[in-house]
Amino acid sequence: MNETSPIPPRFLTKRELKSLLGALIREYRAYGPVDSDGVPAFSALTSSAELRFDLSPTHLSAREFLLPSKETLLKFDLTESGPGVVITPVVEAQPQVIIGLKPCDINGMALMDSVMAAGVRDVNYLKRRAATIIVGVECLPDETCFCASLGTERAESGFDLFVHLLPTRGVLVRIGTEAGAKILKKYAWGRKAVKAEIVKLEEHYELKLGAFKARLNALPEELPGVLAASDESPVWQSIGSICTGCGACNHVCPTCYCFDVSDELSSDLKSAERLRVWDGCTLDDFTLVAGGHNFRKSRAERLRHRFNRKFNYGSERFDSLFCVGCGRCSRTCLVDINITEVTNAIIKEVKESRG
Amino acid sequence: MASKSTSIESPYLPVPVTIESVESISATERLFRLSNGLASSRSKVSVKGGKGGAPVYSPGQFFMVGLPGYGEAPISVCAPYEPGFGIELCIRLAGNLTGALHRLGPGDTLWLRGPYGTGFDTEGFKGLDIIFIAGGIGIAPMRSLLLAVLKERKSFGALRLLYGAKSPEEVLFTEETEQWQEAGLETEVIVDKGSKGWKGRVGLVTDLMGPLKPTPGSTRAVVIGPPVMYRFVVAKLKRMGLSETDIQLSLERRMKCGVGKCGHCQINSSYVCQDGPVYGLGDLKGMGEAFK
Repeated sequence: MNETSPIPPRFLTKRELKSLLGALIREYRAYGPVDSDGVPAFSALTSSAELRFDLSPTHLSAREFLLPSKETLLKFDLTESGPGVVITPVVEAQPQVIIGLKPCDINGMALMDSVMAAGVRDVNYLKRRAATIIVGVECLPDETCFCASLGTERAESGFDLFVHLLPTRGVLVRIGTEAGAKILKKYAWGRKAVKAEIVKLEEHYELKLGAFKARLNALPEELPGVLAASDESPVWQSIGSICTGCGACNHVCPTCYCFDVSDELSSDLKSAERLRVWDGCTLDDFTLVAGGHNFRKSRAERLRHRFNRKFNYGSERFDSLFCVGCGRCSRTCLVDINITEVTNAIIKEVKESRG
Repeated sequence: MASKSTSIESPYLPVPVTIESVESISATERLFRLSNGLASSRSKVSVKGGKGGAPVYSPGQFFMVGLPGYGEAPISVCAPYEPGFGIELCIRLAGNLTGALHRLGPGDTLWLRGPYGTGFDTEGFKGLDIIFIAGGIGIAPMRSLLLAVLKERKSFGALRLLYGAKSPEEVLFTEETEQWQEAGLETEVIVDKGSKGWKGRVGLVTDLMGPLKPTPGSTRAVVIGPPVMYRFVVAKLKRMGLSETDIQLSLERRMKCGVGKCGHCQINSSYVCQDGPVYGLGDLKGMGEAFK
């Protein structure tokens, strides 16, 4: 346990946890899961009483706080023309804290970090990430969660603090970073956890692993090969025929990061902004070029691409799967395309064809 | 980190370049010759190679070309890098941004980021015969390679260009092709549909491939054209005995960032803006989407 930090887990009473969270909400711009008219959603927090750690994964991931759905990259002052145009890059990062990220989302965020830092660094994302404190919270799966099939049911790093709600009295807090230790020391240091309490963590993981109803019928390391062998599968046609191409699966995904870039002129034409907005590979114009050619013409091809991006393509470039098993796409799909069912159908087909 | 706290190193920040000349080369294409170096700017722009330094690029690479308020698009270089000379870009009128670019003239400014992507390895072509096969606007990026090769004509074997366009009106660089011919590039042009006065051949670019007798191993075939062209041309080249290492291509895709983030240009697991646009045929193994 706790290899990522030299500081062993701390025990906090419920009251100490409350004062820690209250302080974070007071000191930072803070976001966390709340019950939003019956839907679990990340929301700006004003009090720790709003927080709900017992809900299914939030409807949207926490991507918005690091890669906003609409963001200004450049500002153009068009008062003068030609080379007189003044271009100012916009890189905004304010200290913020995200409370209540589950292991799936913490692992998803680590993948976003590696994408944005690879090659040319996306400073807009990275500066915001560096200014963000992550307080994770342990959870139990709902009927759609399948993180245990992908090895993302635990978070070993990628957080500053990680809270385990114990069955009785208080909580255990794991410390992931120096910043996390500083915060804990400042607001609620509690006491060193005793062995009997640390044992409870493993007991929780056992309980958690037994609680999954949705599972993939292949090991994570088998998935890239399975997807690579699925190009001609009739499954793509079958889900393509019911998909409406709405892009909701992209929209809710914690590891989807594709974006469009376009300019917006002000109404007086004296200024303009270069904006990036979320885009999605399941939308029909995603690969459309000037002249009218579309490189992925059918919804079947677009869904095949999306599934490959989650279970195959990332394994080459980033040595990782890009699905963390949060189940958001399944929960949100209008026509009930379910990521575990589809993937299991592909797994079955490929395994049978291999004999 | 940058030493000056005022400069933010955004990868999306373009630099201004002055247009030296604009030549209308068809109803929809204009050839832009840019000044060497950067326009003096009031923006805090920084470029590798120092102030006023022009970017260095290879044939086949591209720039993100833009105008404030209109956006950006990937445009391949149309001529090879030469010290002291500016970038040449052939821009087709296709939408809002290219419409605005087409309204620009000498002395006006456009904005660039780049160069991006892989280019052609002209050194690796030395001593070999080369077959250039271009379709449509594919002749523009091909020209950057052609001119680079012709500059050192003696270092290469037999050179042949097969160029297909939709109609005689859409054949680009007509006068130049004569110069290329004189410089030692055997050039044949074919159009899908002829018109009055067209004395050349009518048909598809693959119709020009019949007489080719390439020697596998000592021939390179370079293919740039519209998506539909690749499958047929590549199949024919393979039937002539050329192997994967003998064939190179440049692929077009939608691009929004140029730096491997936005996801639009992805073909299977490959990012065209990073791993392409120039690929060896062998690089496309497992990329079933390449010729879609």
